[in-house]
Amino acid sequence: MRDDAFSKRHPAVNFVFFAGAMICTVVIQHPAYLLAGVLGGGIYYLLLHGRAGLKTVLGWLPVFLVLTGMNPLFNIYGNTVLFRYFGRPYTLEALLYGGAIAAIFVEMLLWFGCYNAVLTSDKFTGLFGNLIPALSLLLVMVLRMIPNLMRKASQISGARSTIGKGTAEQDTTKEKLTEGMTVLGTLTSWALEGSVVTADSMRSRGYGSGKRSSFMIYTMTGLDWGLLAAQAVLLVGMIVLGDRTAAFTPVLNIAPIGGRNLPGFLCYLCYLLIPIALHIKEAIQWRISISKI
Amino acid sequence: MKKSHIAMLLMFLLVIPATLFFGLRLSGRAYYFTSTLVIVELLIPFLLAFENRKPQARELVVIAVLSALAVAARVVIPIPNFKVIFAVIMLSGIAFGPEAGFLVGAVSAFASNFFYGQGAYTPWQMFAYGAGGMLAGFLFAKGRLPRKPAVMGVFGFLATLLFVGPLLDTCTVFLTLPVIHFQTAWPLYVSGFPVNLSQGTCTFLTMLLFGNPLLEKLDRVKVQYGMTEEQDGL
Repeated sequence: MRDDAFSKRHPAVNFVFFAGAMICTVVIQHPAYLLAGVLGGGIYYLLLHGRAGLKTVLGWLPVFLVLTGMNPLFNIYGNTVLFRYFGRPYTLEALLYGGAIAAIFVEMLLWFGCYNAVLTSDKFTGLFGNLIPALSLLLVMVLRMIPNLMRKASQISGARSTIGKGTAEQDTTKEKLTEGMTVLGTLTSWALEGSVVTADSMRSRGYGSGKRSSFMIYTMTGLDWGLLAAQAVLLVGMIVLGDRTAAFTPVLNIAPIGGRNLPGFLCYLCYLLIPIALHIKEAIQWRISISKI
Repeated sequence: MKKSHIAMLLMFLLVIPATLFFGLRLSGRAYYFTSTLVIVELLIPFLLAFENRKPQARELVVIAVLSALAVAARVVIPIPNFKVIFAVIMLSGIAFGPEAGFLVGAVSAFASNFFYGQGAYTPWQMFAYGAGGMLAGFLFAKGRLPRKPAVMGVFGFLATLLFVGPLLDTCTVFLTLPVIHFQTAWPLYVSGFPVNLSQGTCTFLTMLLFGNPLLEKLDRVKVQYGMTEEQDGL
């Protein structure tokens, strides 16, 4: 995950890419676009997560099938009746529509899986630190405090068990609950006392006296600007150069992908391939540099 | 009129109706996109109000501690699936008022998703948790409701079962269903009911046992360090 080329680019590039990909995912329900999205998101997800990712992706297959099969049960519109159950029609159009909806669902899971791996919390706060300084600082503090408080909680319960007050497996739920609340109370006191000290320390170091700047390890390079521009051009190209009409019920009405609509689809495809292309380019460069040694 | 108030009015009177108007004319997954966008637009004024107020260090840190506590508290109780997060958010609202309650809820939902994974549901969770904290702050402000453990417990139970839980179920409805009307939506609300019931019970028990201790601790810190309402805006 650490050697992914797209993750090393400026967070703005990453954020814009994912925002674009996700908005396209939920807005466009043309089958070809969905297939491209699932493939693009899926391949990048596998590149990021490796072998463990394959298991997760295969786990989403049943979700896809169930969501697809479920739609005709609720949605009875459609002209081609496949069969009837209890007198209700189960139509082909609704089944296909269910497939499209399920594909959107799985594609969102894939893109969010990639997003979580690429846009880590430090990048997020770095990106928005100048725009919303107080909220970013708040978020940084919370993200730091959560593991800190968990560690303190285990210290408290450890200390309590040495004086015979901890919980054991065979305790009743009531005993566990009161013990948990005691630990929570102690933790609250500890954290609050610490917080006031932190706040006073912040104030004495001049918090709020000037404009805050935020630490940012990334700078926009030429490649980053190029990527941003390419993303914008490809998205605009997709919007302008193709017809993405796709209606499923009651009659299938899906715009053909070839001919006049092809350039728009190709733009979308190129857009989705940006992170994968960067990843593969770097992998090849790495191979070449190894082979030279 | 303050800048944040103007932003809020603009959002409620112009941007959200416009989103609904254009969103419903959009082909494709109009529900998914439009509803999530509206939730994000609902969140923005609240968050900007906090940002524009230029919060003091103490306020910032106390809100951070309460948010972190809401997330971290799940490891403290040695019972599986016992969720304390709603109770802590609502108690924050009771102690520090509606605005702080909203903020603690929204921030803890966002922060916990950095550990458990962000998704399209993130804005919904932020809004639902925040609304729960805000409701608590509003109902218990100025002695509207007495701060007694039993009252807080019943409030927590009802608010989780009837307000926060259904809001999260609505998120599921909007994000998974292709066609939304009463017939398709009610199974999801029914299947969400047991979860809401168990979380409501957790909130009830936590409020009952932990409500007063937490409020006392907050008061103690206020007195100990001389944080009065006028000085620090807390």
